[in-house]
Amino acid sequence: MTCAEFEQALPDASEGNREFEHEQHLRSCSACRSLVADLNAISQQARALQDCGDPSPRVWNSIEIALTREGIIRQPSRGELASVHRFPSRWSSAWLLPVAAALLVTAGVVRYERGPGQRVMPNAPTTTAQVASMRPEPSPDDRQLIESVALRSPAMKASYEANLQDVNSYIRDAEQSVKNNPNDEAAQQYLSNAYEQREMVYEMAEERSLP
Amino acid sequence: MLSRQRAAQLVVVVVLVGVVLATAEDRKEFRFKVRKGASISVVNQYGPISVKAGARKEVLVTAILHSDKVEIDQGQSGSRITLLSHLLPGADATSGQVEYQIVVPADASVTLHSTTGPLHVEKLHGDVILESNTANVDLRDLADGHVHVKTLNGLVTLTNIVDGHVEITSLGGDVMLNAVSGPLVEVNSSSGRINYDGDFGGEGEYSLTSHTGDIEATAPGDASIDVTARSEQGKVISDFSLQPKHTSFPIRAGSAFAGTMGKAASSVRLFSFSGKIHLKKRQTN
Repeated sequence: MTCAEFEQALPDASEGNREFEHEQHLRSCSACRSLVADLNAISQQARALQDCGDPSPRVWNSIEIALTREGIIRQPSRGELASVHRFPSRWSSAWLLPVAAALLVTAGVVRYERGPGQRVMPNAPTTTAQVASMRPEPSPDDRQLIESVALRSPAMKASYEANLQDVNSYIRDAEQSVKNNPNDEAAQQYLSNAYEQREMVYEMAEERSLP
Repeated sequence: MLSRQRAAQLVVVVVLVGVVLATAEDRKEFRFKVRKGASISVVNQYGPISVKAGARKEVLVTAILHSDKVEIDQGQSGSRITLLSHLLPGADATSGQVEYQIVVPADASVTLHSTTGPLHVEKLHGDVILESNTANVDLRDLADGHVHVKTLNGLVTLTNIVDGHVEITSLGGDVMLNAVSGPLVEVNSSSGRINYDGDFGGEGEYSLTSHTGDIEATAPGDASIDVTARSEQGKVISDFSLQPKHTSFPIRAGSAFAGTMGKAASSVRLFSFSGKIHLKKRQTN
């Protein structure tokens, strides 16, 4: 799959709903991985903005004054006041265009975030801080491992970084699950599996025959 | 005129032969005499490895080296054979490639390590241990032995594996299991999908778990299983009407189910943290 094909399929390929080809391309292409990361960040920020609420009336007044000064909008004359119910065409096109663009961007981001038929998770993060906390920071051991891989095989560095991120995310979810339900067999299984995965990544990276 | 044509043809042939000779791959063959229960270990960073069953007391290795930037270090100690593709300075994924075709006794144990692969093993009943970074793994027609596969992002396909202890650990690679049964079948995936199509036979323990990867298991209508399935954040669907069972396992409609079918001979656990789980009934024609 090429980058162009991946980008075309991107709106329908939200996380958790990607085809095998998309995942494979994502793993091998750092440019597309960056793009997806940026879109995710925008999406999270957009959700944070939804909670901001409407700006105060003073803000709108200031915008109107500035636009009037620019000549983009003007106060209606006497004759025009007679047709006050008619929306001034210049004003509507001036306002509607950025509003429509903002709505399109927001709709696109929300659609990308949700994916086709995917429900919004009740515990989805709404602030940047929560989003940042979802991505575990690499530990000193992880950083050392990545540096070691980068020295031997620079081309594999990004791949191992992504692998460690996946694994650490798994460990964090599993630890939370065990913390919530200490006697739950499934939670214990997740944690055991997650640590096994991490051990595998370290093993693969450190074996002399492999990068 | 004729002689000019012939001269031109001769020049073309000479040039072609020169090109072929200049880029000729180096083909090597090794033969090892072994006894029962031989073990073969191959470490090959770049290139495919294919292992098949053959003569009882002999290991035959055919290796094609893609350049002089790689050499093969081979050794034998009794019935233990080791092969290592030794990369020389300046080698890369192309020049360092070696293609292995190996024929081993059917009861031999095989250990393969590769980055790019692919890896292929068939018709053995000894232990098979594979480690791959991104190499695709294809195992078929194995019986009785232990099968261990570890992969970061390679696709793993197992076909017709019977009476084996199967343990697969995959970080991001999908795992496809077709007609795999045995006393133990365990798949631990992080984001890779797990797809099982079989009968959950052999009175075994089947455990398919993932972090975010979806799990799809297809079984016949007369499967004999004690099944437990749960996803913390994903959907869980069963096409079967399960007999309820006494269990402390929390049942939550849409995200967990537990029950039995038939005599509940095999134990089946399908756990995913946020992937979707679907226990499908195989359609009979």
